[in-house]
Amino acid sequence: MKILIIEDEAPLRTTLVEFLRHDGYICEIAENYEQAHEKIKLYHYDCVLVDLTLPDGSGLNLVRTLKADQSLAGVLIISARGSLDDKVQGLELGADDYLQKPFHLAELNARLRAIIRRRQFQGQRHLMFRDLTIYPDQTLVLVKDKPLTLTRREYDLLLFLLANPNRVLTKEAIAEHIWGDDADMADSFDFIYTHFKNLRKKLQEHGADNYIRTVYGLGYKLETA
Amino acid sequence: MKLLTRTNRYYLALSALLFVLGTGLLYGGLQYALAHEVDEQLQQQRTYLTVRIRVTGALPTVTMPQELTIDGPTRSESLRDTVIFDPVEHEAVPFRVVSFPVSVRGQVHWLTLRKSLLETEDVLKVIMAVMLAVMALLFGSLLLLNRWLSQWLWAPFRRTLKALRSYQLQQPESLVLPPTPIDEFSELNQAVAQLTRRVAADYRALKEFTENAAHETQTPLAIMQAQLEQLVQDPELPGRTLGAVQEVYRAALRLSRLHQALTLLSKIENRQFSDGRPVRLDEVVQEKLRQLEDFLEAKELRPEVDVQVPVSVVMHPALAESLVGNLLQNAVKHNLLGGLLRVQLSTAALEISNTGPALRTDPMLLLGRFRKHYAASDSPGLGLSIAEQICTYYGFRMAYEYAPAGHLHTLRVTF
Repeated sequence: MKILIIEDEAPLRTTLVEFLRHDGYICEIAENYEQAHEKIKLYHYDCVLVDLTLPDGSGLNLVRTLKADQSLAGVLIISARGSLDDKVQGLELGADDYLQKPFHLAELNARLRAIIRRRQFQGQRHLMFRDLTIYPDQTLVLVKDKPLTLTRREYDLLLFLLANPNRVLTKEAIAEHIWGDDADMADSFDFIYTHFKNLRKKLQEHGADNYIRTVYGLGYKLETA
Repeated sequence: MKLLTRTNRYYLALSALLFVLGTGLLYGGLQYALAHEVDEQLQQQRTYLTVRIRVTGALPTVTMPQELTIDGPTRSESLRDTVIFDPVEHEAVPFRVVSFPVSVRGQVHWLTLRKSLLETEDVLKVIMAVMLAVMALLFGSLLLLNRWLSQWLWAPFRRTLKALRSYQLQQPESLVLPPTPIDEFSELNQAVAQLTRRVAADYRALKEFTENAAHETQTPLAIMQAQLEQLVQDPELPGRTLGAVQEVYRAALRLSRLHQALTLLSKIENRQFSDGRPVRLDEVVQEKLRQLEDFLEAKELRPEVDVQVPVSVVMHPALAESLVGNLLQNAVKHNLLGGLLRVQLSTAALEISNTGPALRTDPMLLLGRFRKHYAASDSPGLGLSIAEQICTYYGFRMAYEYAPAGHLHTLRVTF
């Protein structure tokens, strides 16, 4: 999986690279518009992360270039501007998704995986994890080939975990993933706890291994082994 | 009082005063000159008669007894005024009278010469009448002139006033005032144009500052958040450090949310949203209620939803979502366990009622920024201010009512 990260802020860029490499992506970087333009003209990527405000140009123009070249790369915009019009414009230009800074790394990963999954027509259209098989298009979950009925929230949580295996997902990141703007309402952490409890119970009833680990005080982690 | 009415008053008062004074002076002067003239004529006649009597040695014959009397009752030399009854005109007529002695062949005779003053009085009357007419004409034309002046000369002033009244800081074009040949107004226009330019520049600078501040703050926050999330992945991290990292992480998230809310507020205030389009509010309400279902369940709320279909309002879709979301969040957050939540939507209004803790303050105060019912609450308390700003932006009316009976809070947005 080859990804181009276009971000002018060095500390954020470094963190992104470290995080995505750890997850098995091949990362290339561009620090400014010019570098980014050159790289997207020369190489092919599976996905491009574009920061909209670059010192020497607008990331929106890079999205335009990618679309004009009929690039197959997925485009994920990350922007600090948070302007709703930027978002609308970016998506209209053909970007796959838009993430506002600051964001949770786990959220970025989940969006990235969703984009790549949608774009890989030739690949498998399902996710496999230990004894789980998931068909995201049909919202179908199989445990050891037997279907598992989940609520919408439980399914969302499972997918979010699967996008970030072996990584502690903080309760805050989970709350924001599930409830968006409503995440700062009281009790949201209690709901996460309840939903996880139910999800675990259902998995266990179907004889799945217990791979969802609670990290005390922090959140949850999906263990690969 | 209008400026012109006031100046008119002063003009009238001053010209009336001047007229009275002028008329008085003119009258006095003329009377003096005319009386002097009559006296002179009498003296001339006296000289003429004296000379004639001395030459002829005989008294003149009296043809007009009114004008000349010989040896009348007066026996002293004098020049005086008198009034004589005129049998023809049937009125008392003022006369100027001179009496003097003459000697004819050694004998002294007293002659009295009289001259009627009636003619000079007529002259004075005519003069007064003319003066009054002139003054009336003057006043009348002054009023007319002023009315015309106020309509024509003051037109640029009124145009400036109109332009100022309709001027809005957010509009991109600057204030345009039509040129005027009158120095005062042209100076006023210059000063006004300068002022609005300066204010507009300040406004733009402030707007850019908020935009840049938003961008410059979100980036470090993004770095903090990403680094902290990476940090907590380390299984070797000692428990105490982990606790501290978590605190910082939560604080960063709170700061980021607060910042997003403030940025949204200032964007609405600065009218940085593009034009709206019809948004199906009924769908937005249903979608938001669905998103809040966990919270509804936890509070054991069964929302009574009375939503007309379809309700379409012209808004920016994101602002419509924010408005409905904030109002519903507020109604759920402050609701009681097993309380009431009623959502009514019609083409005229959106009304959300919920049970909640008793209010001791004016409910409208809760719309202010950073107003929270619970001071220790984690949320920044901007939800209702954002909702109110959105309402102001689109010209909706928002009202917050609290009915102590049943502890019912009602927020109503009238489109």
